[in-house]
Amino acid sequence: MLQHLLPLGTRDEFGRRARRKQQLISVIQAHFKRRGLAPIATPLLENEAVFDPYQMGNYQLYRLLGTDGQTLVLRPDLTLPIARFISATKVPLPRKFSYVGDIFRVSRQLSGSYNQITQAGVELIGYGSLKAELECLTIANQLSAELIEDAVEIELGDARFAQRVVASLTDNASTQQAILRALFDKRVPKYQALIAPYRDQPLYDFLKGWPRLFGRPTDVLAQLTAAPLPATVQPSIDRLKRVVAWMKTTMPKQAVSLDLSSQAPQKYYTGLTFRGYSQAGAGYLFSGGRYDQLLANFQAEAEPAVGMGINVDLLTTLAADQPEAQPRELIYCEPDQWQQAEAYLAQQPNASISLAPDLAAARMEAQRAGARLVDLTGGGVNA
Amino acid sequence: MPEERIKIALTKGRVEQQVVPLLEAAGIDCQQLRNKQRRLIFDSDTQPYQFILAKGPDVTTFLERGAADIGIVGSDILTEHQSSQYELMDLGVGVCQFVLASTADFDPQAPRRKIIGTKYPRITQRYFDQLGRDVEIIKIEGSVELAPLTGLADAIVDITETGTTLRENHLKIYDYLQPVSTRLVVNRLALKQHQRLIYQFVDQLAEVVSKSSKELAK
Repeated sequence: MLQHLLPLGTRDEFGRRARRKQQLISVIQAHFKRRGLAPIATPLLENEAVFDPYQMGNYQLYRLLGTDGQTLVLRPDLTLPIARFISATKVPLPRKFSYVGDIFRVSRQLSGSYNQITQAGVELIGYGSLKAELECLTIANQLSAELIEDAVEIELGDARFAQRVVASLTDNASTQQAILRALFDKRVPKYQALIAPYRDQPLYDFLKGWPRLFGRPTDVLAQLTAAPLPATVQPSIDRLKRVVAWMKTTMPKQAVSLDLSSQAPQKYYTGLTFRGYSQAGAGYLFSGGRYDQLLANFQAEAEPAVGMGINVDLLTTLAADQPEAQPRELIYCEPDQWQQAEAYLAQQPNASISLAPDLAAARMEAQRAGARLVDLTGGGVNA
Repeated sequence: MPEERIKIALTKGRVEQQVVPLLEAAGIDCQQLRNKQRRLIFDSDTQPYQFILAKGPDVTTFLERGAADIGIVGSDILTEHQSSQYELMDLGVGVCQFVLASTADFDPQAPRRKIIGTKYPRITQRYFDQLGRDVEIIKIEGSVELAPLTGLADAIVDITETGTTLRENHLKIYDYLQPVSTRLVVNRLALKQHQRLIYQFVDQLAEVVSKSSKELAK
C-alpha cells in the first residue's frame, strides 16, 4: 500500500488552497516585476558546502549522495544559492533579484510540520545604503496589505546589537555565548544567574530588563536612551530611529515594533533585521535583513546586500480563510461554440469550461462542484 | 467574556495538581479546572484565559505548532523533546532529579557496552556522550525500574523525587544527572502577539512563586 502514502512532512496541494497559492505567487511575481527585480531560479539540489553558513535550528537537511560521492542536499534556504550563483558567474553588481521556490527542512517527525515550504523573496546585492532596507520594507508593507486582510506588524531589530552589548561586559567568549543563548531563548532564571556577576556595573539595570526589550518603538527607544550602553551600539540605535521615523512618514498605517532581545533570523545577518507577523498567523510571514559578509563565504570580496524571504505557505493559510469573491460557474458548450465559451470565460475569472460529453453529465458535474451551470447550447443560463 | 484570550496548555496529573494552587494564589480563575469532570478545555468566564489539559509531550507539540500560547510542563520533557520556545519561569514545583540506577551488582566501570533502559533516550544519549561511553539505549514507556530487574537492561536513566520507588525495587543510584522542575514556557511568536496579557499572567505567577520559595528557604 506504500504507493498511496506520502512521506512524513509532505502534502499534496489541491483545489481552493492550490488555486489561492498560485494566485498569491502571481501577485508576488507581478509585484517584483513592477519594481524591476530580475527573476532567478536555482536548483533544488546543491552541494552541502553551500549551506555551511546556514543555521539549521531544530531542523535537519535532506541529504543525498552525488554520483561522485559528494554530499548533496535539498536546499534549506534560497539566499545562499543566490550568493553561490553571483560568486560563480560574476554577474555585474549592484543588482536586484527575486525568486519563488521551494525549500526543504526536515522537522521533528510527527509534529505536524511540513518539510517542503514555498518561499518568495528578494535579494538586493551590492547595495550598501539604507535605501536597500527601505525597499524591502516597502515591498513587505505593500504585499502584506495587498494579500491579506489581517493587519501585519513589522518588527525591526539589529543583528549585532546584543553581541556588542555583551562584548562590553566580558572578553570571555564562552561567557558571552552563554549570556546570549539564555537571552535569546528567554531562559530567564539562567539568564539572571549569568548576569549576577555584573550587578555592580552601571549597565546592570538594563541587563535585568533586557529580555523584555521589545514592543512599541517609543517604549524601547526610551529604555535605550536611559541605559549607559557602549558606544559601539550607537550606530545601530541611530539606524533604527531613522527607519522608524521613515516608516512613520512613508507608511503611516503600518504597525511597527522593535525587538532588541532576540536572535537575528539567520547568523549571516550583519545589520538591520526585520520580520512581519499577523495576530492570526502561527509564524512569521516574512523575515530578512542586511548581510554584508555573505559573499565572503564564496569569494575573496564581500558585497553589501539586503534580502527578505516571504513564507508563501503561511500567506496561503491566512488568505485561504477569506471567502471566495464569486460562486464558481461551469460553462457547457459544443465544440463549435468554443470561442463563445472563451469570451465568457475571459469575463468570469471564477468560471471553467465543462468537458462533459452531454448536458446531463454537465448538470451532474455542476451539481457535484456546487457550481452554476452556464449552458451555451441553446437553453441559455441555467441555475 | 474577554475578547483577546491566551491559551494555556497545562500538563495533566501531578503537574496540574501542584500548579493549580499556585495559579489560584496568583488570582487566576481556576474554577473550571476545579470542576473539570471529563472536559479537557476550559474558558474562564471572567479572565482572558483558556486552559487546555494535555500530556506533557503534547504540551510541547501544542506550543511548537502555536496551538497554545503558554505551556506548563516539566523540564525533563522540554529537554527530551528539544523545545525551542521561551522558557520564562521555573515554577519551583515538581522538583526531582535524573539518576542512573541499577541493581546492587551493577558495575558502571565494567569494560563492555552497556544496555540502558529509559523513557528519555535523548537525555540518556547526551549523558553517556559527555562521559565518552558508547551504550545501547532501549526506549521504555513506563515502569522503567523493571528493566534491570528483568535483565532487559544493565541500568536505567529515570527521574526520581525521593528515591522511594527505586529503593522499594532494590535499585541503587549510581550517578545524578540534571535536576528537573516544572517550567512555564511561551511560544515565541505568541509573546509578541499577546505581550501584555502574557507578561501580566507571568508576573502574577512570579510573585507567588518568589513568595513561596522565600517561605521554603526560612
